[in-house]
Amino acid sequence: MNIRLKFTKGNEVKYISHLDLMRVFQRAIRRTGIPIAYSSGFNPHQEISFGAPLSLGVTSDAEYVDFKLAEPMDVQEIKKSLNNSLPEGIRILEGIKLGDSPKSAMSIVTHARYRITVNIENVAPDSLSKNIETFTAQENIKVMKEQPKKGFELKEIDIKPMIVSMKLTESRETMYIIDCLLLCGSKANLKPELLLTAFKAFTGYNIEGIKINRVEVYAEKNGRIVDLLEY
Amino acid sequence: MKYENIKEFIYEDLLPRVEKPGRYIGTEWNSIHKDPSKVDIRFAFCFPDVYEVGMSHLGMKILYHLLNDQQDIFCERVFAPWPDMEDEMRKNSVKLFGLESRDYIDSFDFVGFTLQYEMSYTNIVNMLDLAGIPLRSGERNENHPFVVAGGPCAYNPEPLYDIVDFFMLGEGEEQLLEAMEVYRKWKETKGTREEFLQMIAHVRGVYVPRLYSVSYNEDATIKVVKPVMEDIPQKVKKSVIKSLKGAYFPDKIIVPFIDIVHDRIMLEIFRGCTRGCRFCQAGMIYRPVREREIEELVEIADKLIQSSGYEEISLSSLSASDFSKLNELVERLVSKYKSSKVGLSLPSLRIDSFSLKLIQEVQKVRKSGLTFAPEAGTQRMRDVINKGVDEEDLMNSVGAAFETGYSNVKLYFMIGLPTETVEDIQGIADLTFKAVDRFYKVPKEKRGKGLNITASASCFVPKPFTPFQWEPQDPIDTLIEKQKYLHKAIKRKQITFNWHEPYVSYMEAVFARGDRRLCDVLIKAWELGCKFDGWDEYFKFDAWMKAFKEIGVDSDFYAKRRRDLEEILPWDHIDVGVTKKYLKSEYEKSLKAELTRDCRIACTGCGINLLQEGGVCK
Repeated sequence: MNIRLKFTKGNEVKYISHLDLMRVFQRAIRRTGIPIAYSSGFNPHQEISFGAPLSLGVTSDAEYVDFKLAEPMDVQEIKKSLNNSLPEGIRILEGIKLGDSPKSAMSIVTHARYRITVNIENVAPDSLSKNIETFTAQENIKVMKEQPKKGFELKEIDIKPMIVSMKLTESRETMYIIDCLLLCGSKANLKPELLLTAFKAFTGYNIEGIKINRVEVYAEKNGRIVDLLEY
Repeated sequence: MKYENIKEFIYEDLLPRVEKPGRYIGTEWNSIHKDPSKVDIRFAFCFPDVYEVGMSHLGMKILYHLLNDQQDIFCERVFAPWPDMEDEMRKNSVKLFGLESRDYIDSFDFVGFTLQYEMSYTNIVNMLDLAGIPLRSGERNENHPFVVAGGPCAYNPEPLYDIVDFFMLGEGEEQLLEAMEVYRKWKETKGTREEFLQMIAHVRGVYVPRLYSVSYNEDATIKVVKPVMEDIPQKVKKSVIKSLKGAYFPDKIIVPFIDIVHDRIMLEIFRGCTRGCRFCQAGMIYRPVREREIEELVEIADKLIQSSGYEEISLSSLSASDFSKLNELVERLVSKYKSSKVGLSLPSLRIDSFSLKLIQEVQKVRKSGLTFAPEAGTQRMRDVINKGVDEEDLMNSVGAAFETGYSNVKLYFMIGLPTETVEDIQGIADLTFKAVDRFYKVPKEKRGKGLNITASASCFVPKPFTPFQWEPQDPIDTLIEKQKYLHKAIKRKQITFNWHEPYVSYMEAVFARGDRRLCDVLIKAWELGCKFDGWDEYFKFDAWMKAFKEIGVDSDFYAKRRRDLEEILPWDHIDVGVTKKYLKSEYEKSLKAELTRDCRIACTGCGINLLQEGGVCK
């Protein structure tokens, strides 16, 4: 039996990496005694996989984990049991049963929505809105990106095709909230941090106190995007 | 951006800028969080190294929960911030804080350091400075915490005599609670700092350096060490728990978020060692041998697996294969946890008692690496150190391993041992070659693929409370020559050769057998930028040498000098149970390459059974 769960990665656990998060789940599952399936071989490991990784320091309302059970178990029971065994900041929100040989969450993700909270001094909301418009209306948006697999060598890339939308949604004194929908996944992936770097360079703003929250991740289904539980 | 308080500033502003912020968040599973306003005693348990190293240490896990099980005590963890974090802290005037509450530790009641290796001493100085606590005991007042230290290096406390207010020697399970009780009483009396130190000096195993005076002879050796007050004990006896039966062991342990060095359950199966290897300090200071009962071990393992979710248990001790019922324990644990895929590992195996059956049992769930420690290359050398194993033992053990499909084994050796000659160095290469040959004797279809033998050679460091405590360490140049020789001699494509930095080993030798005069050198070295000395990338030998020169202390006096057997040693006023008389006789036997038997067979008269009324050995 295959299960997909949606969970939060809150402020308390935003500094733990994707790999750390995997261990957290593996151990939480062991503590609950949920009948997870193990691979065979010399070093058996749990049949568990995660959706698109989140950068260190970024929180999320919508992370996804898939796993295989050796024996069937009620999804609500799994949720309850795991929520008692997960550290603060990680909460299972809901879950579904998947089919027999499901595509992994990782492989189907195409988009992600982020809520970016920033602090910018000396700027009017209108001009910020306008700047966002001009910024996203450019033909190309070139930015230098570090390539972790090549010794963090810098490479210039165009992020314009990966920005689906970007808009100002809220402002309070010097605090602004920007909502953006970006490509995410194995085919094309734009991290919101890189978007901000490009935006900073474009506007010359002194952007501080950046807080990024992933609101949802999506997959494409019949030409529209749906969240991973709907897929 | 403005933050509500410093805690929020640390979390939101500072942590995103450092490498591995997961080291500093303090909310790991099973960590203890108490309301500081509802406790009377706040204890900062400090490990003077980075998180990943400190969190791998069993003693800290035990004592953390022991203290927190007391309702009125809140014990938090503190590790040495990695240099990037330290820079951020200093730049932003952030002081050293407890991981759990993120409160500054300078307002705590106790700041306790565990001394696991000498090369962490500069980190202690650095951490005190980061905490805003005066470095020297005499500079602290009623508003400062008491600085306490324990652990194996505390048995020669003298190099830290002016930094640490009091040392706790021996096993902490009972002693620490006793010390806390003294503190509660002292707090009621509203006494002075000095009064507390005099009170605590009467707890078994507590050493308060300022209550002892040291004078020196003209040749710089020690003339006399004596208490400055009448009712202070002449000799400080280490504290020992009589039996492990029912001894405290937490039923939960912290499960770190980030990967640490030893990320598994450590189940202590017994304490002490009876083998009597003459280079080994642990084998002397942790005596007597006390085993935990199987029923209890299984029960503890069960609770820890349930509460942690760990997938591996390591059976921890100085020499796991000496546990009298090891086979039974392994069988019970394996059969119990096979289905839930909990693996078992044995960190240290003696090559004379290695059993094929056992290793097959252990690897039923998961296969882990195998390490053997012949320690020396020739039989003569192994007899000098009383290792008590021979070549046949090693061939049988690696042979058994190769026949079960292992093709990766590690062999540990030491160079620079007393009486060592070039033949002994060559012997390391020869013995490793024989292990290679043994692999190819296994039929092709039975053996694993791609043999790799890792041979490690560390530089011998003479330690206090061992039969070699009087011996000089080999000069650095000699150690380098020996390493070069071995490196050349051991070259084969199936062998990976590792060695240790002799400069670090030299400094370790200086501090291991150091006295009070090193304390100023230590502080000077820290001023010159020394910290994280155990990390090759941070170790600054030149800065250390400069510190010795500026303070006017000769480091060779400590590392390279052969002590007279009658000399008063800096740690002679510490009583670990094993007598100086026994160590002397072992030393003399070693020079004749004479063996001493395992004292499980018959008592060899080391003196440990006289440490406590009634005796503690079987």
